[in-house]
Amino acid sequence: MNSILTDINRRTFMERFAKAVFGVSLLPASAAVRAAEIKIGGKAKSVIFLYMRGGISHIDTFDPKPGKAEMGGVQAISTSADGVQISEWFPRMAKQMHHVSLVRSMTSTQGIHDRGTYLAHTSYFMTPTITHPSLGSWAVKLLGSANSVLPGNILINGSPQHPRSGYMPTHLAPLPIVDPGAGLQNSALPAKIAESDFARRTALAQAMGNRFVQQTPHRDAAAYLKVQQDAAALMKSEDLKVFDISREDARTQAAYGTHTFGKGCLLARRLVESGVRFIEVEDAHNWDTHNDQIKTMENMVPTTDQTMAALLDDLHQRGLLASTLVVMATEFGRTPQISTVTAGRGHHPGVFTWWLAGAGMKGGYVHGKSNEIGEHVAEKPVTMQDCNATIAQAMGIDLQHIEHSPSGRPFTVADKGKPVLELFT
Amino acid sequence: MTSKPPFSAPLGIGIAMLSCAGQLVRAADSPRFEKDILPVFYHHCFGCHSEKQAKPKGKLRLDTAEGIRGSEVIVAGKPEDSELMKRVSLPHTDEDVMPPLKGGAQPLSDAERATLRQWIADGAKMDSWVKFDHRGAALPAGDASLARADVRQLSAEVQKLVDRSHAAKGTKLNAPASDETFLRRVYFDVVGRIPSLHESARFLGSKDADKRAKLIDELLGSEGYVSHMFNWKADLLRVNTRGLAAGQPGKLYDDWVKDAIRSHMPYDEFVRQLVTSSGHLWENGAVGFYVRDLGMPLDHMSNMTRIFLGTRIECAQCHDHPLEPITQKDFYQMVAFTFGVSNLGSPGGYSPDNVKQYPEIKEKMATMPKDKALGDSVSGTIAPLKRLTVDTDKQLKFPETYAYDTALRGKSVVPRTLFGDEVTASESERRKAFAEWMTSPRNPRFAKNIANRLWKRVMGAGLIEPVDSLSALPNPEHAELMDFLTQTIIRLRFDERAFMAVLLNTRLYQSEAVRETPEPAVAFALRGPQLRRLSAEQIWDSHLVLLAKDIDERKTTFRLEGVFDPQRLKKLTAMTADEIIAQARINLAERTRGRELSLRRIEQAKAVAAAKARGDEKEVKRLTAVHAKQNKEFLGSDMKAMGSEADGESATKETDPRWKSLPPSFIRASETPLPLPLGHFLRQFGQSDRREIDAFNRDPNTTHSLALMNGDLTTRALAEDSFLRRQLAASKAVGEQRTQLIYRAILVRSASAEELAEMAALTKDSPTPEQDIIWALLNSPEFLFNQ
Repeated sequence: MNSILTDINRRTFMERFAKAVFGVSLLPASAAVRAAEIKIGGKAKSVIFLYMRGGISHIDTFDPKPGKAEMGGVQAISTSADGVQISEWFPRMAKQMHHVSLVRSMTSTQGIHDRGTYLAHTSYFMTPTITHPSLGSWAVKLLGSANSVLPGNILINGSPQHPRSGYMPTHLAPLPIVDPGAGLQNSALPAKIAESDFARRTALAQAMGNRFVQQTPHRDAAAYLKVQQDAAALMKSEDLKVFDISREDARTQAAYGTHTFGKGCLLARRLVESGVRFIEVEDAHNWDTHNDQIKTMENMVPTTDQTMAALLDDLHQRGLLASTLVVMATEFGRTPQISTVTAGRGHHPGVFTWWLAGAGMKGGYVHGKSNEIGEHVAEKPVTMQDCNATIAQAMGIDLQHIEHSPSGRPFTVADKGKPVLELFT
Repeated sequence: MTSKPPFSAPLGIGIAMLSCAGQLVRAADSPRFEKDILPVFYHHCFGCHSEKQAKPKGKLRLDTAEGIRGSEVIVAGKPEDSELMKRVSLPHTDEDVMPPLKGGAQPLSDAERATLRQWIADGAKMDSWVKFDHRGAALPAGDASLARADVRQLSAEVQKLVDRSHAAKGTKLNAPASDETFLRRVYFDVVGRIPSLHESARFLGSKDADKRAKLIDELLGSEGYVSHMFNWKADLLRVNTRGLAAGQPGKLYDDWVKDAIRSHMPYDEFVRQLVTSSGHLWENGAVGFYVRDLGMPLDHMSNMTRIFLGTRIECAQCHDHPLEPITQKDFYQMVAFTFGVSNLGSPGGYSPDNVKQYPEIKEKMATMPKDKALGDSVSGTIAPLKRLTVDTDKQLKFPETYAYDTALRGKSVVPRTLFGDEVTASESERRKAFAEWMTSPRNPRFAKNIANRLWKRVMGAGLIEPVDSLSALPNPEHAELMDFLTQTIIRLRFDERAFMAVLLNTRLYQSEAVRETPEPAVAFALRGPQLRRLSAEQIWDSHLVLLAKDIDERKTTFRLEGVFDPQRLKKLTAMTADEIIAQARINLAERTRGRELSLRRIEQAKAVAAAKARGDEKEVKRLTAVHAKQNKEFLGSDMKAMGSEADGESATKETDPRWKSLPPSFIRASETPLPLPLGHFLRQFGQSDRREIDAFNRDPNTTHSLALMNGDLTTRALAEDSFLRRQLAASKAVGEQRTQLIYRAILVRSASAEELAEMAALTKDSPTPEQDIIWALLNSPEFLFNQ
């Protein structure tokens, strides 16, 4: 990775030098882009994909419009990144903005929750004839995972509607963690069951299973005997401890917070340390704020601000941010106008904000712009496909690689999305 | 973590190709044109070289004997001089290779090439074959109709065909299945769960020589049949209670499908009612068929053709099908039959035109002082009415990107059926005519599709695989049996129960299972039913049999309320413009109060959290009670409607003593509103999320074992108050007899002497021998298989 960095720096130097001395570009523009596409990215060993369910308001979070009536009286504050302001509701994230690339020109055509959520996760439009895989399934399919024991794709507090592995095999589907405080579901002995009971019972079940397998050449019979052995081994394995966030010291637990999202992000960091490729954490808040925008947001924002900031800070302190890409995504933004009837904001796919941090993304950087009241894209529109292509590029996935569905239809990781190369350092 | 068994694999072209190749290998010594060569031409050549193109490429037609003989590309007896042989043998990188590999066409396999070469070498004979009939002949009018009384005779006739096949091949049926094996199997296949101890004892104890036939009839008439059949149909129709459409009471579609099954609606009538459905969901639940695919008429037709006609046409949505002679034009002509349906043709399927009161409301609102709040509330009030399924005169046009005939771009598409009879109908009658064509006994694929699918449901593998690969090609393997089954279901007037009874009463069904993994390219061998993993629903439902009595009778407590209340929606539909405006005022007031309640709840939650942080549990309790009381008073008598405004559903408490100790969610899978949360037992075991047709999976996974070892269902089965433990407690059986009882309850068989000894030895020093055995049987792989 270092050598690539050096190469890019050297080329940048040579380009400047050539321009200054000879008045020409060293490379034709198109070739430069192609070279950049090949060389840029690939630093994200892991991705933490934070999903804000319901469509989080951009104006009330990371794309404030200071002084405009659309703010509803909420102020913007300065941050650790020069010239970057965010909503006063995010004081802790304000101290982390030097790690973050904001994409304030996200835009989509999907204004219905499930369709927007589907597009954000798969880069394809929802259709009734096929289910496309989510980005995490692509990642484990094409890159594998550094940890050979743990699943490479984990979904914490996920919605029932998650597209999971779509048409790809189910072993690529994210392993759901329903309650991040409780660890891997069903991996602990139930109350009042002793180790000795368990040992005796599994011995019985294995004896029965062996007999069944002897009579049954069908491969699934043997496979079920095998997964039973795997499960029993997993229950005793060291690897299971990664799911136990109570092993963290009290200060760390308090920093992330004891709410679901806080526990989920702490677990995500532990999974990153164990080499898990792709972890999605869904915020437990529902950001679909149709009513009473200001009061509802004031109620929900503090825990989310706390957790996001704690995650970035913690990853940075541990030296993991350089190899971990953290993304905040949502299905759409919300209308700039606060309704005079409900005092809330409606769905608004026209423009909204995602952010990316770590793994070679620029820090303290803002890409694209919404117009003065946050109603539409003013500069450099970025689609969800583009942003997912950027994430894929950061992981080192070949964006042109084709996978076929079982019926023979060809698909790529981010459809026709183009990576936002300006985000990379 | 292992690869999928082929019968649950997403059914794809890959398998279809393999099955051709598989047949070819066996026939390689002396290829026959219709059986061996025609399928190769069909899948690789007809797309360009047949009547499906107005101008066949290179003026070459391979779909008529005349075309083949007259061409110069085949030199009979001389494969080396045949241009056709040369071109299909080029490396795939050569630009002259046939078929051209752009656009998804597949090169010939080595086996296919070898067969083709041999056929040419043998003189390229076509026997009496004249031409390929792309549309396939309509089925002739069949013999007189039959009834349930004829089932036994029909079973014997099916068995005769099976026996004849074995005689011809020198193979034979598996040994007859024991009563125990039959009992467990027939419960799984008909009612979707294991029998209770009581049900087992009744059957096994009976001396009636006719007891199997009687049990089949009893089960087919039971509520358990409705439950199990619903799961099967719901996976095909992608019935998704909460995921149907935003703001619509999706459960009414679930209910319609269940009622249709319960009321013995014949299958052809079932399909006709779905295809021709009109109205709102609360007037006719069948419109869920269209509401499910709002604004997606092309996909809707793809799915319908796949599930009702066993034919996959979705490739032709964007371009001519690369592997079958189905053109994009064919596809559009099919869609034209249903495109006018309001829910499909309008983008998003949402139109104010669908609300008959709308013009008058608009007029009235214009005369009133401007009131945005009321205006918004009116919009919200009439929103559910906008999703009306009704025929419109909206025309399907060829897309501007249509590549095959630029003159057609933007022109209206005239509907035309893909195969079988031609249909002409006026615009307003299009759907009706289409449904008649589809469900007619003359349709070459309608009855065949359902006969093959029901066969697969019972036997574990279709006579034709994949089940959605029906085509105009003749089907040599099991053709006679398939045709007989097709005629049988037609003659039984599409009575699915009677048809299933025919299959279940055969000696074939009542044989030992085939215990090997099925090979992908090999046809079903007719030796016995295929052993297979149970569906997620069968596993869940079987656990419930151990937890509570009469589980088939327990229904969901999930109710449609508030804005989803069907009675309220019916009233709304019939309201005048004035009444709707008045209702909108009420709704506005309700919403305002709802907002206030939400804000109160935020403050209340803060107070509780503060008390919790202080560790003052007493105060937490007190506050919780106070808040509940305050909120109830605030809402007054409207509370029910108010509380449900967000999701329009609620659950009531269980009052039936049989199920009191079980949470309301412990109901048969068919009663559970979808989608279930991730991590639910049913989802872990691969229940379909109903996004796609048959999107279930049955792959073994470590989380299955964790759930069965440590999960809630097993813990409950072991608990003293489980139905199973209570039955054991009430039993006087001792020692080995008790072990036998547990085997009977869980695995529906008796334990062998060897097993009894093993169980006794391993539980000798156990404080909980009975629970140990229950646990072990629930965790035995055997429990998870239908055998």
